[in-house]
Amino acid sequence: MNMELSRRAFLRTSGAGLAGTTLGAFGFGEAEAAVAAHVKPFHLANTVEARNTCTYCSVACGIIIFAKGDLRKGEKADIVHIEGDADHPTNRGTLCPKGAALLNIVKSETRLTQPMVRKPGSDKFEPISWDAALDKIARAMKDDRDANFIAKNKDGVTVNRWLTTGFLAASATTNETAFATYKVVRSTGMVAFDNQARV
Amino acid sequence: MSTDIQPDPTVIGAVSTPPFAVAPDPSSLFPIRARRLRAYAAVSPMKPYLDFVAGLVDAQAETVALAPAAIPAEQVARATEFGMPPLDRSALAADPAFTPTLDILFDAVAKRPMPEPAAAALARLRQAGDAVRAEIAGNVLAHAVPVEALAEHAFMAAGLEVLATRLAATLDPKALRPVSETAVCPACGGPPVASLIVEWPNAHGNRFCACELCATLWNYVRIKCVSCGSTKGIGYQEVEGGPGTVKAETCDECRTYVKVLHQHKDPSMEALADDIGSLPLDMLMREGAYRRAAYNPFLLGY
Repeated sequence: MNMELSRRAFLRTSGAGLAGTTLGAFGFGEAEAAVAAHVKPFHLANTVEARNTCTYCSVACGIIIFAKGDLRKGEKADIVHIEGDADHPTNRGTLCPKGAALLNIVKSETRLTQPMVRKPGSDKFEPISWDAALDKIARAMKDDRDANFIAKNKDGVTVNRWLTTGFLAASATTNETAFATYKVVRSTGMVAFDNQARV
Repeated sequence: MSTDIQPDPTVIGAVSTPPFAVAPDPSSLFPIRARRLRAYAAVSPMKPYLDFVAGLVDAQAETVALAPAAIPAEQVARATEFGMPPLDRSALAADPAFTPTLDILFDAVAKRPMPEPAAAALARLRQAGDAVRAEIAGNVLAHAVPVEALAEHAFMAAGLEVLATRLAATLDPKALRPVSETAVCPACGGPPVASLIVEWPNAHGNRFCACELCATLWNYVRIKCVSCGSTKGIGYQEVEGGPGTVKAETCDECRTYVKVLHQHKDPSMEALADDIGSLPLDMLMREGAYRRAAYNPFLLGY
């Protein structure tokens, strides 16, 4: 009777349980039973390792995020460690001091988790909804562009420049996002623009 | 004026340049493995078994002194050309070193104390003719072991490990190439017994799979199922409250697990020894949804 043995189903079919293992066959069934009794009070803990991209700069280093608990199994996940991804061709496991401190950013009490606004004359930031924040930004950009847009230079040549506002976009984006960002920003005439898509 | 020295900022710091494969060193492998098994034995309720396997590994260490056979260069070249492992597993039983290796190993093992079932199995193996031995070896290499003769096959596996390790040590690891998308040993085509996260001068946090048979190590991307090659649905399970050095890497695609050993946290870890020593993890995993995919002749049945 030949059968594939590294299958847990096998133990069930063998009936005798301990006799169906190498330990049992060598005559160490007692030691095996001792281990089985020893592990009874113990439980398994789920941990997760996930690949991601460092959000800091356009080098876009690969990172591995370690968490206790698995969201996919209906648990709460708590990030416990972040390190450079040794398999990533860009950084091959290394991180700069800022990247090496990513865990402290995740855990930071002063970390920005929602849009905040400091109103004119105020000395503190207060929460604002995404809709209100985007409306406010759009209003300010439109007003500034209307006041400062340069359609022609002093020689009368059409230049369509908007020099009084700049735009900085994030590095952890896809090519498609970077393309759309570029088209939107350049079509307004904005010159000071970096979407960190240089790599 | 000397202008030879040019600053090269790109090499500052220790950047990982892991080799694809690392050949085993038969003279140090088995002593390291035995030492590790005894370290587990000192604190484990399965001390008798760990001591027994450590004794078996000691006997393997005595056997490696035999002059190593070499794999013909043309066989290596042909295997490399066609993306096949150069070490032919099926030819191991026909190797001229097969019978002498087994005889020396079994004689050395027989001097050690062991339970009656093990001693009886060893006696049957020592008396067995070449044909019976070749058949048992074939079963071990095909991972199709008859349930009524597990002990004979585990002893045979120990002999084949010595043979294959000696042969793999003669291969040039730089010439080895991946033979599969999944974790398949580039030297002998076998499955891994476990994988190691290493901390070496040229490999920081890289993962290497360890071949059960020939002990060759090969680089394999982390967070990727060694059984089916999937990178989706990978999770890790460990005994709660433990040191976090041994984890079961589970795959939701093929519903299996293989252990990951965090050797960078404990440099004394050795793949096969730690797989046996961490049997409690397998016992707990048995209650769950994932089945064991690793092959270890000393843990058959899990």
